[in-house]
Amino acid sequence: MIHLREYQAKRIFSANGIRVPRGMLARSPEEAAAACRELGTAVVLKPQLGVKGRAKAGGIAFADSPALARTGAQRLLGADIRGERVELLLVEEKVAIEQELYLAATIDYHERQPVLVASTAGGVDIEIVARTQPDKILRIGVDIRQGPAANALATVARHLGTTAGDWLGRLYALFRRYDAELVEINPLVITADNVCVAVDAVLNGDEDALFRQPELEQLRQELPAEDPVAAEARERHWTYIDLPGNIGILSSGAGLTMAILDLIQDRGGRPANFLDTAQIDGPGVYDAFDLCQRAKKVDVLLVNFFAGLNRCDQLAEGIRRYVREKPLQSPVVVRLVGNQETAGHRILRETGIPSFRNLEEAVDRAVRLAGEKRPADTPQDSSA
Amino acid sequence: MSILVDEQTRVLVQGITGRAARHHVELMQRYGTRVVSGVRPGAAGERVHGVPVFDTVREAVSDTAANAAVLFVPAAVMRESALETLQAGVRLLVMVTEHVPRHDTMWLLASAREMGARIIGPNTPGLIAPGTHCKIGFLPADYYRPGPVGVASRSGTLTYEIVARLSAAGIGQSTCLGVGGDAVVGTTFAEVARLFETDPETQAMLFIGEVGGGMEEELAGLVHAGEITKPLVAYIAGRTAPEGKRMGHAGAIVAGGRGSLKSKLAALGDAGVPVAALPGDVPELVRQALKVN
Repeated sequence: MIHLREYQAKRIFSANGIRVPRGMLARSPEEAAAACRELGTAVVLKPQLGVKGRAKAGGIAFADSPALARTGAQRLLGADIRGERVELLLVEEKVAIEQELYLAATIDYHERQPVLVASTAGGVDIEIVARTQPDKILRIGVDIRQGPAANALATVARHLGTTAGDWLGRLYALFRRYDAELVEINPLVITADNVCVAVDAVLNGDEDALFRQPELEQLRQELPAEDPVAAEARERHWTYIDLPGNIGILSSGAGLTMAILDLIQDRGGRPANFLDTAQIDGPGVYDAFDLCQRAKKVDVLLVNFFAGLNRCDQLAEGIRRYVREKPLQSPVVVRLVGNQETAGHRILRETGIPSFRNLEEAVDRAVRLAGEKRPADTPQDSSA
Repeated sequence: MSILVDEQTRVLVQGITGRAARHHVELMQRYGTRVVSGVRPGAAGERVHGVPVFDTVREAVSDTAANAAVLFVPAAVMRESALETLQAGVRLLVMVTEHVPRHDTMWLLASAREMGARIIGPNTPGLIAPGTHCKIGFLPADYYRPGPVGVASRSGTLTYEIVARLSAAGIGQSTCLGVGGDAVVGTTFAEVARLFETDPETQAMLFIGEVGGGMEEELAGLVHAGEITKPLVAYIAGRTAPEGKRMGHAGAIVAGGRGSLKSKLAALGDAGVPVAALPGDVPELVRQALKVN
């Protein structure tokens, strides 16, 4: 999923006929003061983050003057909000709120079709509203081939008691146009002059649709750089996840990799990361090894391949070639099963790498090796 | 017997001239699957491992009476290809391709629903019915044995891992089906459970789930409501997965408590479904389930 920052989502909303507050970006207190001066009104300073819940974490500041905007920005920039460092602020005109609504178009994972969601309880966490005041939420399933029915939108307009029903149609068009998983306005503010403004904006895109969404791809480039190892893995359609322990994992298949994480922790070990490759061949293993070595220093690398379609001998050959060419930073334990497994194990034996057919035995060996490396860190596996 | 496929299943392969498709046509044939035709626009008249290739699905279906299709086409053309297949009257589509845009999957499901067709996947290794020598997709045949257990899973390699253990323990399978690792898939655990419930060969069911999504909870609801009477066992991978991180499968992300292990264990527990904590625990639980029957 691609989670656009608020300012990016607002750029798209605005270009698609959804009104948003006037605003400017600021990377320094001076820029924030200048933005306030330029906007010529009271402003809101909003950190542009990937995490949710910034308001609850005290991450929003109000300012009536450029001087106050400067001090507000001084406080926010560089601060840590829910584990993320604030680098960028959206400085926006403050909107006079008469009423706050909630509107969204998203995927109903149960019905497996789009759903429109509208509520008169805007400005608060919609999941809480769903729990405490379910009657305040209107949900309308949509046949994706037809789009929302006109009478359904009229129902929403009546429920909301305003012309905002019309906005839901626009929001749905956005959802479709950008292959979104979620587009959300919370709150949609109705001002004292009866004007609708999207005071917040969320647009989450579908990674798998990026090939036909050049605009989203472009906006993704603007996002703070992700971990280079994760980026390289993504390029190859692999998954790399960093974790806090000391056992590296190289495995194929999402489900099996998760099962290995569970198994390691059941035996008292702590995973350091994992690289999940799809079914790969010998050269693929070589590259995957290389990525694991560059990713992070681990105390032991556990490799697991269940070769249902590929061949163990080719996978082992890829490992042998890597080990001959490059020094390994940590001991390696391999679990290999599937086509040509006897040949695969012979190659690994010749290379001096311990290999197993049984998953539990391989995990036990890896956990033991990791424990020997850092006995103080992992007292729980001293008996393993 | 089995669900969805059997000896009468006549398989059409879309995108048959691709490298992976060619390889799997051969493996499917070797297993005994009747692969009757292939489609690749512009390649009419060719043969792939003896299978005739057509330009369109309609021609392939009318010439070879195909009644199931496996789609090896790129994600970007999946919607178009699958719609062509539905419109040609095929009522079972297995979409092995990964990375299909979600809007496209939803579109296809709406069409399939209307036409009374079933879609398996996308992002599925396919299905195999060991007693009928029919497999569609790329599940590696060596690990499967005919028998009484119906298996459904969200993950390919994890299925091989667990089914290999079942087979080694002398427990065979009626049908094994990968529902697919995406957040939106054509056939859910609950739907598979209904099919196994009415299949005379299936005496017990095994569901290999993951954290994320709501499929396990939905399945538990069905059991709880008494709609599934055959014994059922579950395993859930990712019990130690960190919240908020996508664990490889698009479906396997726990966010805001949704799809958490806790919610799945609670739902399955309420329904009286035994849940294995680790792959190694599965064969014994399945053995007990078979005894109950």
